[in-house]
Amino acid sequence: MLDHILSILIFFPLLAAMLGFVVNKDSIRAYGITVTTVEFILSLWLWYAYDSSVSGMQFMENIELIPAFGIAYILGIDGISLFIIVLSTFITMIGIASLTDTKRVKNMIITLLVLEMTMVGVFASLDAILFYVFWELSLVPMLYIIGAWGGPLRIYASVKFFLYTFAGSLVMLVGMLFMAYFYYQATGEWSFSLLEWYRLILPESFQYWLFAAFFVGFAIKVPMFPFHTWLPYAHGQAPTIGSVILAAVLLKMGTYAFVRFSLPLFPDAAVFFMMPIAIIAVIMIIYTAMVAYAQEDIKQVVAYSSVSHMGVIILGTFALNVEGISGSVFLMIAHGVVSGALFLLVGVIYDRRHTKLMSEFGGLASVMPRYATIFGIMMMASVGLPLTINFVGEFLSLLGFYQQSHMITLLAGVAIIVGAIYMLSSYKKAFFGEVTKEENKNLPDVNKRELVALIPLVIITIWLGVYPKPILEPINNSVESIVQLMHDKAVTPEAKSAIPNLIKDDKLSSNMEAH
Amino acid sequence: MEMLLYIALFSPLVGSLFAALFTAQKKTLIAGVVPSALLFTSFVASTLLLIQVLQGNTINVELMTWMATGNLYIPFGFVIDQISVTMMMVVTLVSTIVHIYSIGYMDHDKSFNRFFSWLSAFVFSMMVLVMSDNFAGLFIGWEGVGLCSWALIGFWYHKESATWAANEAFIMNRIADLGMLIGIFLVYWNTGTLQYAEAFAIMPTLDNSTLTMIGIFLFIGAMGKSAQFPLHTWLADAMEGPTPVSALIHAATMVTAGVYLIVRSNELYDLIPNVGLFIASLGAFVAMFAASMALVNRDMKRIIAYSTLSQLGYMFAAAGLGAYWVALFHLVAHAFFKALLFLGAGNVMHAMSDELDPFKMGGLRKVMKGTFIMMTLASVALAGLFPLAGFFSKDLILEAAFAEHHFIIYSVLLFTAGLTAFYSFRLVALIFHGEERYKIFGIHPHEAYKFMLVAMSPLAILAVIAGSLKMTYFEMVTNLLPATEYHIHSHTTYWIMTIGTQLFVGLAIAFAYKKYIGKVKEDKEFEKRFCYKVLFNQYYIPHFYDEYIVKPYRELSYIFWKQIDLKIVDATVDFIGTSLYKTGEVTRGVQNGNLSTMLKWMVAGLAVLLVLAAMFTLVATNADFLLSVYHDLGA
Repeated sequence: MLDHILSILIFFPLLAAMLGFVVNKDSIRAYGITVTTVEFILSLWLWYAYDSSVSGMQFMENIELIPAFGIAYILGIDGISLFIIVLSTFITMIGIASLTDTKRVKNMIITLLVLEMTMVGVFASLDAILFYVFWELSLVPMLYIIGAWGGPLRIYASVKFFLYTFAGSLVMLVGMLFMAYFYYQATGEWSFSLLEWYRLILPESFQYWLFAAFFVGFAIKVPMFPFHTWLPYAHGQAPTIGSVILAAVLLKMGTYAFVRFSLPLFPDAAVFFMMPIAIIAVIMIIYTAMVAYAQEDIKQVVAYSSVSHMGVIILGTFALNVEGISGSVFLMIAHGVVSGALFLLVGVIYDRRHTKLMSEFGGLASVMPRYATIFGIMMMASVGLPLTINFVGEFLSLLGFYQQSHMITLLAGVAIIVGAIYMLSSYKKAFFGEVTKEENKNLPDVNKRELVALIPLVIITIWLGVYPKPILEPINNSVESIVQLMHDKAVTPEAKSAIPNLIKDDKLSSNMEAH
Repeated sequence: MEMLLYIALFSPLVGSLFAALFTAQKKTLIAGVVPSALLFTSFVASTLLLIQVLQGNTINVELMTWMATGNLYIPFGFVIDQISVTMMMVVTLVSTIVHIYSIGYMDHDKSFNRFFSWLSAFVFSMMVLVMSDNFAGLFIGWEGVGLCSWALIGFWYHKESATWAANEAFIMNRIADLGMLIGIFLVYWNTGTLQYAEAFAIMPTLDNSTLTMIGIFLFIGAMGKSAQFPLHTWLADAMEGPTPVSALIHAATMVTAGVYLIVRSNELYDLIPNVGLFIASLGAFVAMFAASMALVNRDMKRIIAYSTLSQLGYMFAAAGLGAYWVALFHLVAHAFFKALLFLGAGNVMHAMSDELDPFKMGGLRKVMKGTFIMMTLASVALAGLFPLAGFFSKDLILEAAFAEHHFIIYSVLLFTAGLTAFYSFRLVALIFHGEERYKIFGIHPHEAYKFMLVAMSPLAILAVIAGSLKMTYFEMVTNLLPATEYHIHSHTTYWIMTIGTQLFVGLAIAFAYKKYIGKVKEDKEFEKRFCYKVLFNQYYIPHFYDEYIVKPYRELSYIFWKQIDLKIVDATVDFIGTSLYKTGEVTRGVQNGNLSTMLKWMVAGLAVLLVLAAMFTLVATNADFLLSVYHDLGA
């Protein structure tokens, strides 16, 4: 069973979703919780069986689909994708467990299960076409969630979300086709296998163009400035569960793809574009944090804060050293947990008051003390306080980039200031002060169903903040192999010097270069 | 030994979590007593550790790994040496006293339990800060105390001013923390480690400009926590918090973290005397700057806060001049008498129904004898009169400045000593002497609970005798810190200086008494003067920050959102989308299914194709000719 665990992880939710159509409407919630719990346990088993001392791919599956064009069904995970898969199954599970009373709840749960399949699929694929298929498929359930359960502007928001990301992915697809073609030219065989692509050393000029093509697809997904404007609409209109999954997992597809595709495939281009991308990242960090500060709607604050944090992740990724990339991968997990929790928390108050405007609240700390406490913890995690999960990622990402540039890191470090400004001022508006509105005086505190989702998130936030080793170590090992691969592959001397060589023995590395 | 270390470190955490269990419930005495008892345990453990250290044993333990990636390795490591044990003694002693005092002070507060939870959490963070053996651990404590300070300043969160001050403190500290973080990055990339011992061992091999950068960025971090100019405004606003918080956090412990950092990094700052001189100059400036604001202020707690700021300036002046042990000594002495002063102020506030304006008090010594004696003692110690604690520590700083030939710093600090004496006794005179002005406000003052006074008494005793511990202390810390004794060569000069200082301070006290002990008139003429206005409005610095930083930031944020994000970035995206859509709308006529229209388009298309074909043939047949023309143009 362990040999095919990745396939099981991908297709079990799909199968369950199809069976879900025949499940009675009253028991669909229990069904959904059961399925996602089983899925989550499977992913934990995957983690348990994962050998963290091995840096390469594990649990590989390889079935040829279209041999003539080298398209195959290749799955495999390493320390980078493992935890994002666990995160996906976990967030889906607690998302369904805490699902509030929804219209057409059956459709919602089936959609979520399909979405879960696509998420696991994206992170487990090692074939570009397979990756692309899951990548695009993930849009459909999300489109449906926003379009069917969203707010008043839901059609506009969902179509914008779909078309925008879709347009970007098409450019990426073209890039993939060219990549396969170059592979064909170099070896005489077609292949879309990522691991085989890794071995291909491309001239720099090719790398630049391909990097740009992939970049468009990834940057829109992340989303990077100035491609981020679909995100506030999507979050603003999406129901709570949609926002949670969008922020926690779907955005990570973009950042994950940078680590999985852009860096190891195009190391010279990554070095070449490092500074422009870092500048974009700095803009993301500061500019969107300021926009977040100006918001009146608390959900939009969290939405823009996501973009700001994504800037730190991108910066860490393009530090191109082990500290930075490990930090950015860790921050992907951290941001998944924290932003997921924050969106859930916004959902709690929205269910009670049907508004998200901060001016409608005030003084909630005395009415809903437990809610205020959990929100406070998550806010402080988002601000990046040490001993919370976010700090580890943020610290390492910035630390990593410091090796590349002093000024950029100084500017990006402003994240810790502007982050505190928008978060604390929002918290003050919503929770502190006197209770001014009559409706707020008797709001019930968080109930059991909400706590089921929130308590585990709080525990993870602090546990991994204090003791990140269980996750950081496997990530570190896999990142080291990627960095070494990049160093060995790099063509230009600038790239060679910018990407550290982890093999200390000079003789050994020169041997490898000779080969 | 290790056990003691962990008891000292984790007892406050246990106390905090214990009190946190009761936060949702009504006030229970146990939520205050248990954390206090645990803190006392921590104090006892620290004392035992102090005895060990006095015997020459130091400990270094590693609890577990925190972060490890690439070459970076950060453990949760703790060190007990002469510096950290000194800090631990101060922290645990003052916080035990403040905890016990708070049981009485917060007696009527409905959030009693929450208060103790945060207060103990603060002590834990502070212990992490001083006990860590690496920069990252220091940063954990650094941010932890910031968090607790935020929660405690904004403890009465229904008050707008309190939550505003809390956010201001947090954000301003964050600005400095960025400097600290960059300093840490610099240390890591230049030495390859964040452990103090290893990093400081490598530093002498680094070039001077790198060291200067490290020194400056770390000092920026210190400036935030210790509220040095220009990041000082939060400290006075932080007085919105409950008074025990002001005593513990904003006088005795947290604000001295910056000084601790400089003292801890003495090996670094010894290598860069230029930065040290800058620190000393800034310290001297802040000492006088803050003292001047205290001269005219009409808020009891703010006056003491400015005095704290001023004394922090003294500490930095000493540390900057390389007299690290002197700075640490003043830190310890100051913690005792300043905490005492604040706790006394808390008693007065309770007696006066939270009135803070000393001009509305007067004559309180009759009803509050205990508080009167203790606050007077604290003020004498603060002013630096022989033989109280302040005399020894402050005099040492003056001597150090003199002996190092920094006469400008010396004169500034000497002048400030006079100011200190004046504003301290202005406060004492206004509160405890003169007519009973409070009577017209219908307030009936009463002395605080007896156990609160008893709790304060150790501080009073220490404020008196701390000076006599100087030699023991000196022998202990100079195992780690440079053991420079600052001797003024000529005996005559020394005695003239010391006696002169004492006389100067004495005169300042006498002047304060003379001016404020009798009938206090509202001096309208004086209040209209320019210099009074400047001082009373804190040199208009808060106003400046508000007008030129906070407001523009808010407006710019709004512009970014409304103008740039919605009107430019998003509108561009929508424009591309709609123009595609419009193009489709316009050209759909081509395919409307009407045969005659479609035939027309077909003919038009054919014509275009023919024209293109003709042009292509023309170009192809005359290629040679065209090329030659092209070359001619090029030539």
